[in-house]
Parts: sequence; structure tokens; C-alpha cells
Amino acid sequence: MSAPAMAHRDARIPLLAAQRADAVLPASTDVLVIGGGVAGAALAYDLARAGTDVVLVERGELNREASGTNAGSIHLQIAIHQLMGTFATDAPRLLEETRLAVRAAEMWHALEDELDGPVDMHVTGGLMIADTDDEAELLVAKQRLEAEAGLETFVLEGDALRERAPYLGPSARAATWCPLEGHVNPLVAGPLFALRAADHGATIRTGTDVRSITPLDGGGFRVQTGAGVVHAARVVNAAGAWAAELAAMVGLTLPMFRMGLHVNVTEPRARLLEPLIQHIGRRLTLKQAANGSFIIGGGWPSREAPVPQRYTTGWTSTAGNAAVAIDVVPALADVRLLRTWSGVMGWTRDVAPIVGESARVPGYHVLAVFSSGYTMTPILARALAAQMTTTGAPALPAAYSPDREGPPT
Amino acid sequence: LAEPETYDLLVAGGGPAGLAAAAPTAPPGLSVGLVDERITLGGQIYKQMGPGFIVRDPAALGPDYLRGRALIEAAQASGAALLTGTSVLAVSGEEVVLVRDGEPARTVTARRLLLAAGAHDRPVAFPGWTLPGVLTAGGAQTLVKTQRVLPGAAILFAGSGPLALAFPAQLHGYGANVQLVLEAGPPPRPADVARMAAAAPGNVGLLRDAVRYRAQLLRGRVPLRYRRIVVRAEGDGRVESVTHAAVDADWRVVPGTEETAAVDTLCLGYGFVPSVELPRLAGCAFAYDEHRGGPVVRVDEWMRTTVPTVFAAGDGTGVEGSYVAVDEGRLAAIGVAVDLGALDAASAREAAAPVRARLARKRAFARALRRMHAIGPGIYELAGDPQTVVCRCEEVRRATLDDAIASSRDANVVKGLTRAGMGLCQGRNCQRQIAALIAAAHGGSVADVAAATPRLPARPVALGQIARVPDEDMGRFQ
Repeated sequence: MSAPAMAHRDARIPLLAAQRADAVLPASTDVLVIGGGVAGAALAYDLARAGTDVVLVERGELNREASGTNAGSIHLQIAIHQLMGTFATDAPRLLEETRLAVRAAEMWHALEDELDGPVDMHVTGGLMIADTDDEAELLVAKQRLEAEAGLETFVLEGDALRERAPYLGPSARAATWCPLEGHVNPLVAGPLFALRAADHGATIRTGTDVRSITPLDGGGFRVQTGAGVVHAARVVNAAGAWAAELAAMVGLTLPMFRMGLHVNVTEPRARLLEPLIQHIGRRLTLKQAANGSFIIGGGWPSREAPVPQRYTTGWTSTAGNAAVAIDVVPALADVRLLRTWSGVMGWTRDVAPIVGESARVPGYHVLAVFSSGYTMTPILARALAAQMTTTGAPALPAAYSPDREGPPT
Repeated sequence: LAEPETYDLLVAGGGPAGLAAAAPTAPPGLSVGLVDERITLGGQIYKQMGPGFIVRDPAALGPDYLRGRALIEAAQASGAALLTGTSVLAVSGEEVVLVRDGEPARTVTARRLLLAAGAHDRPVAFPGWTLPGVLTAGGAQTLVKTQRVLPGAAILFAGSGPLALAFPAQLHGYGANVQLVLEAGPPPRPADVARMAAAAPGNVGLLRDAVRYRAQLLRGRVPLRYRRIVVRAEGDGRVESVTHAAVDADWRVVPGTEETAAVDTLCLGYGFVPSVELPRLAGCAFAYDEHRGGPVVRVDEWMRTTVPTVFAAGDGTGVEGSYVAVDEGRLAAIGVAVDLGALDAASAREAAAPVRARLARKRAFARALRRMHAIGPGIYELAGDPQTVVCRCEEVRRATLDDAIASSRDANVVKGLTRAGMGLCQGRNCQRQIAALIAAAHGGSVADVAAATPRLPARPVALGQIARVPDEDMGRFQ
């Protein structure tokens, strides 16, 4: 590794200095944000920047769950898991999500300047692979929707595909290419938001769990934490995979469930590929990180374990994930697996995020973004912050309401 | 579909503990598999010569070699399946994933698993420890034992414990130019020797070994200096000089006592630490005992861990040497036999009685040795310079770690922020040193710092060797 790269890396490490297990927890605040992932940190930043009195509490340490255990991919193309029915029936929702994705990309691309710190944004472009004729047709339909929403993608086949991606195996029949996709470093982006939130006056307190949330007559909440009681005019549940538990404290039932996702990480190798690789029909996301390691995931499950234990990675997912990756990029066969890891993610049964204020419990807000959650969270935090600080801010889609029941389990 | 590969007892590790467990003390009727990642059995201590060597006079190779041969031959005669060149990648319940060099990985069923993966050299970080020419006692021993190659032309040995005498004596015996031996601990006092002798009835062999090694060094005029520790290795591209200094009782360097020796090889032997990857993956509970190597698997009187189907024996349950390991392996085999109904409780007690008696004596001896050679906390303070590389795989320096540790005492967070422990060695070389830095910065002891989450695989393995689409295809969306 070159000396300048080393120095650059070192500069990021004090980012977590924003977190304090011994910060004084104020007796009252305007907004109490629960959860120290990228959602809570980005929202606290936007609120504090707007002059709002904000306290963020986190049960463990900042950025430890999904926000710090995803691969940092900036996914913009419509992925298969966003599809409930067909591209035709889902078109209105997919158009809206893709327009939001374009705005999310713009925000990520400008974030290093705005936050005046590193997020390691690399715009590499991304490929979504299809093996079969049916999958290739899906790509074409998907590309049309993306074009309509303002996201630039191209369908590649034959020589054009091989020229763009000579490392793809013979099973790849077509792909869409999205030049704007890329990746960030998920270990630094969330903590950087938290640091800037603190710079703007937010109180950030780690090691502080929330035990009960009681709505008060006349508005506001009494929140019992492990470090004492906080009275808050407004509460934001940014507890990610555990958002349902925090919502149940005020009687709300969120249409979500929790799932662990498996990731394989290899030894570093000479640069083989630049872009993100996804598949329209198979469980695969793949990229080669800045240090040369391949990071391979794509929706393979891991076993749930209670907090504070981490989700356990298992052999079936390790081996299955490897098989799909080698099928798509055969040169990976002789690359050695070094590690596996697993993060935990929430999912909603209707694929939509949960963002906004509850009408049933006024003052209680939820910011829980799951599908392509890392990509979409900062832009949705910004939308929610606008709602909370600016009269006449654009309304959030009704489909995101925390009061919806969603489809049955 | 091929017959599923099932073992009543699968033993991971072909050193003294594993060999003893696989040998015929267990009653017939149990199917036993013995796995070792090397192509020959024997583990580290009884490491056999590499392919192409023929031993014409076994006695000339010394008593350790003969003890090892006897154990290996007993295992070979036992009918156990000897799975050499094979690594354990994962353990989950009774499922164990094995991979043989160059072959596809396979999942086997182990009704009982005995973890006997032994120990490895205690890694010690100090300025220059990553220079070519610095190697561990285990590494040097492998060169000598398997290939008959001496590690360098002018050797400085720095270490502590029984090995600090035994290993340089061995090297010297092979004709190596050992220029200086440094022992971090004190010279043996008459009281220690008396205590050891009192603990030693039945351990005459062990005492004799120690005396023999000492005499061998004296005869060879190899200077042996007590209470000195290595502080720095320097050179242009490889070791050219080694600086050492006097230490106090806690192994902390006494200022102004540095001396430099011109050597091309620095061999380190600060004892051993248990190999914990497999028991951690299996979910076994640990205790912490710095003087038995640090994290040690908790076992009951039959060597059963806190995971009911998993047993552990040998240095992995606390580094106490090969004699203890052999008897722990025997005990575990008896325990497994009872567990699987192949032996009744009374016969087991009877078979175990002499083993337990021997173990008690040998453990007493090991305890006496440990009192003489207690590890000083100063061992963790040699990486004092901010530029010292602590994680050699990812080249993470002390200063970088200090920044991360200032913001978190969670080993997982520190790992994520710095990449320390994410490289090819999977953290074996730096995890303890980082835990010590966390303990020093936040208070508490190394023992209190929770290790980073254990993750598959236990050994690096090519993706092509493990790729397998599951029976119900999770690889394709419906």
C-alpha cells in the first residue's frame, strides 16, 4: 500500500469520536432519535443543521448493525427483490423508487464535499446480469422504466457485453450497465454523519437503550432509557432491524421482519473488475474492493442470534454464494475465501420503506429503510427532516406510512 | 447419492492429544477419523520429516522422535481413518466441513468431535518483528525437523519458558551457530528446583530433559542471559542486528540497558497460545489463563466442552505440553466411548484411573514450571513505537490502532475501522496484542476484552473448492 493511501485511511479513524457513552443525557429535548446507524446519524445531522434541538441514543455503539455490516454498494438499478408482481403492474411504484434513487445518487456523489470528510465514494458503474432469454426480457423492460425515471442504463449483449466485461462467464447472456452505480465505505459514512451532527450541536449518546416510550397527554413523550428519563416533544424510531420492537412500545405494528444476510470476503488480488455486479435472477452482488478483495453477497441468509451476539454465518450460504459467484465470474474459482460476515437487515412485506409521522401516535416518527437501504437512507432522512423542520415541505408518499398494516405475513 | 461420511468420533489434530485419542484405548466398535492439515501426523512437537527423507537410525533423532513414532504407529494400527492433508473449515453441531488439499470441500457428520488443534507460537510485536530473518521457534523447528535446513548463519534466540532452553539446545545440536540465548524470566533458584523436584515424582524424564538441555548449552559455550528481552530488530531488507534490554519482574524494559548484537536471524520463543478458531466456531465457552496461553477451552473431567457433542484435549485446553496432551487425549477418548454407549461407566472409571493419576503428576509439574516462567505483562508493551506494525497482513501500525481504540473498546469496531485482523492470518498474529492495547487504553485486563466475532472459514480456502449450490436452490429467485 502506498504511503498517501495509508495516511488517508488513518484520517478516517477518529470519526467515531462523536460517540460518547458518558455524554450527559438532557432531561428534555425537542427530538429524540433512537438508533445510531446511518439513518439516525443522517437525520440527526439534518435536524441539528436546521437548528433543531436533537438527542440521539444508541443501544450499543454507532454504526454496528446493518449500517456497518453491509457492503456499501450504491445500487440504483431496479433489483428483482423490488418486484412484487410484474414490471407492468408495479410500474408506478418502481418509477417513484427509481426517481428517488437518482436523487440518492446525486446526494451520495456530493456528500464528501457537504460533510467535508471521507466516505470513499467510487463511481464504478454497475452491471445487472441475465442468463436466460426470460431474464434478458426483464432487463429490457427494466431499462425502459429506468429511462422514464431518468436513470441512465444500457442493455448490453454479445460482443458489446464481452468487451465491457471480459471476465463474465459463458452463462451471462445480457446485462444492463448503469454508469452511476458505485460504492462507498459503510464503516465511515455513518460515523461521519454523526460527527457532523455533533458539530451542529446534537447530543450523541451510545450505550443507552430505550426501555419504554410513553405518549403524554397534551403531546410529547416520556422515554425511559438505561441512562435516565428523557422528555421529548417528538421521537424518531431509527432502530433499523429492531424498529418493530420500538414501534410496539407505542402500540404500532410495523409490517416488517428481520433477516441476516451472508457475505463472503476473499483475499486481495490484482484488479480483475471495476463495476458492481448484480444478477436479475440469482442471489449475487459482487465487487472488488479498493484493496483488491472480492466482496460477495446477494441475499444468502444467515442465522439469527440474540443481541449482543452477531448473526452466525453458515456453510450452506458460504458454499452457495461461492457457487453463483464462480458461475458468473469463473476466474474467482482459485481466489481464496478469507472471511465471512453477516449483517442483520429489516425487510418490509410490501417492499416499501417506513418513513414518516404516525397519524395514530402524533409526534412519533419512523425512519426505517430496507430495500437498497444503505443507498436510500440519507435521501429519505433528508426528506423526513424537511417534514419535521419546514412547513410546506413535500409530503412523503402514503405508501411509506408507519400506520399501514401492509400485506399479511 | 454417495453414502454420507459419518464418524462416531472425529478428531481434529494429529499431534500428541489427537494421536492418543485415536489410538486403541477406545473400545472397538467406534468409527474414528483423525484429521490433520499436514501430510504427516505428529503435530508440531512430533513433526515428521518431509517427503523424500528416509530415517535410517530413528534412535539418533532423539527420544522425542521415538515417542512420536510410537504414537503415530499406534494410531496407524488402530483402524482409524487417517485424513491427512485435510483442514477443518467449519463446525456446526454434528456437521463438520473438511477440505483436502486440492479437492472439493465435503461435509461429514461427527457424532462426537474432539478438538485437538494444539497451540501456536505466541506472536510478539516489536519494532522490526516483520523483517525477513525473524521467525518463531515453531517455524525454525519446522525447517529443521522436516527439511534439515538451518534458519540462518548467526542466530539469536529470545524467549521464555522451558523452550528457551530446549530449542536453542536442539538447534545447537543440529550444528546451528546460536550466538546468544535470552530468557525473559529469572534464573532458576534452588527453591524453584526443589519445588519442581517435589512436584516431579514420576516426571523424572521431564526434569532430566531440562538438565540435559542446560548442559548442552553450557558445553557448547552458548551464552544464556536471564531477565533480558528483545526490543528491536533492524536491517536493510532483512535482520542485521537485534537490540535487547534488561527487564524487571513484569518483563518491562529497564531504561539504559540496551545492547545490540549483530546476527542475521532472530528466533522467538515466548511460549505458545492455544489455537482457538475451531472451539470458537463450535461455540465452546472459554476461560482465560495467561500462563496457560490465554484463552483456554473450558472442559469437564472427561474433557467435554460446554457444547455437549464437542470434546477438547491438549494444548488447546491450556498449554501444558505434550505429556499432559497425550493423557488428555486418552481421557477424552474414554469419555466419548461412555457417551456413545460403547463403554460402561465402571469400566471407564477403571480405565481412566491410571491416566488421571499420571495427569495429576504432570499437571503439578507443569504448574511448577509455570511459576518459574510466568508471562510478564511487559510482553504486550514492546510495540511502543507508534510506527510499529501490529497487524502484519494489513500493515496496520500502532498509531492507527491507538486512534481507533480511543473511540471504541469493541474489538469488532477496531477491526472494522483499521482492517487489523482481516488478512490472511485471520487475526492469529495480532488479536491478542490489540486486545492488550484496548485493555491498556480503557482499563481492565486482556482477559476482559471480548474477541472479535468468530467467522467461517477456519482456514483460507479457494472458492472453487467450496462452491456448492444447495439442494433447494437458494441461488435463483422464483
